[in-house]
Amino acid sequence: MNNTTHFGFKDVATKDKQHLVKGVFDSVASKYDLMNDVLSLGAHRLWKRYTIASSNVKTGDKVLDIAGGTGDLAIAFRQKVGKSGQVILSDINAAMLNEGRKNLINKGVFGVDFVQLNAQYLPFADNSFDCVSIAFGLRNVTDKDQALSEMHRILKPGGCLLILEFSTTDSKLLKKCYDFYSFNIMPTLGELIADDKASYQYLAESIRKHPDQETLKDRVLEAGFGFCEYHNLSGGIVALHKGIKV
Amino acid sequence: MQYFALEQALNYLIQTGNLDLKPLDNKTIRFALQDLPIELNFISANGRIFVISDTERQNDVDIRLSAGVFFALFKGEDLTELLKQDKLIIHGDVKTVQCLVDLLHSVDIDLEEVLSHYTGDIIAHKAGKIAKDVKHLVQHSNNPLDALKDGLSQLLIMPTVSKLYKNNRH
Ligand SMILES: C[S@@+](CC[C@H](N)C(=O)[O-])C[C@H]1O[C@@H](n2cnc3c(N)ncnc32)[C@H](O)[C@@H]1O
Repeated sequence: MNNTTHFGFKDVATKDKQHLVKGVFDSVASKYDLMNDVLSLGAHRLWKRYTIASSNVKTGDKVLDIAGGTGDLAIAFRQKVGKSGQVILSDINAAMLNEGRKNLINKGVFGVDFVQLNAQYLPFADNSFDCVSIAFGLRNVTDKDQALSEMHRILKPGGCLLILEFSTTDSKLLKKCYDFYSFNIMPTLGELIADDKASYQYLAESIRKHPDQETLKDRVLEAGFGFCEYHNLSGGIVALHKGIKV
Repeated sequence: MQYFALEQALNYLIQTGNLDLKPLDNKTIRFALQDLPIELNFISANGRIFVISDTERQNDVDIRLSAGVFFALFKGEDLTELLKQDKLIIHGDVKTVQCLVDLLHSVDIDLEEVLSHYTGDIIAHKAGKIAKDVKHLVQHSNNPLDALKDGLSQLLIMPTVSKLYKNNRH
């Protein structure tokens, strides 16, 4: 791995990134759900809904949600797998995981397991999950390739990886509006609502640094997945990559 | 996205025990249409079917045929008869193809409709197609309200698959 990596638009020592990302999510944890609704104008719910519908998860399946934060995907997966299935909500950040636990209790969702982990080192046996998901988490991971090969390792043959992440839009007009929104309005809203401009500036920058659809697809295939297809959502502002292990 | 409804319908039937996947276990089957830029890959694995549009992988079975023959096949035309008339080329096990064709017959979905956006105005068509998909999913779901919500989400976020996106770039 290189000695430096990016943290938003800044170059930082690779070993420091995880700590810097932790700072961001420690800071936003308590307002995370509210900010998500405000900043995406509720669209994150639709993107997640589409992810769940595309998952092909069924009764009895074992599902791991990585970087699961406040648990939106885990809640939906819990419903899909039924009593005979298992859902694990995982995140590197204790504050986010704690918000997730509270959220699930508030919504009356039980039977989800919680694990604090780094996506780069998954403490699970080979070939043990039917589905692994990561929503808006991969761009924060320091070594994405290592994380992808870990996800590949723990999936069963025929298992499905779902990566929901901000991506690149092809439309010049949409890109202009989106850039203006992310670099001007988002940090300001972050300051007004969560008293935290820097974290939302990082959010906007980290999205621009994330690999585009085709690059990420290649990296999923390089990690060992037999198939990978992506679906552009909302004009490519978000993309869902679906990898299948053979 | 255009295969979403098909994939959902197949997996719904599998989950409700109405489809036997055994003969297709771990098989990948590609239909490549000669006269449209369309590929349909069926991947049967882990007790479900994935339908994707784009793969560079070697499949177990490759089928080349025209769009007309493709639609005829799924409307009930006899596979052996079509083979005899040299209307399609199959590389791989014909029995596997027959199993998949039988399986697709049990899905009440209009494939012609699923694929037809390649010939028309994409966005205008898409909205209409999603609306039809939603109707279909609502009718064939054990949770119609959920299916309706899924459909409305799709109408708002307009998903498009990778291959289409790639073509748009050039
Ligand atoms: C933007 S939030 C997404 C939360 C949730 N998945 C959602 O879609 O609402 C990103 C999450 O990634 C987590 N994260 C960052 N780096 C990680 C890593 N290396 N391993 C696991 N989780 C990580 C953060 O703690 C944070 O909770």
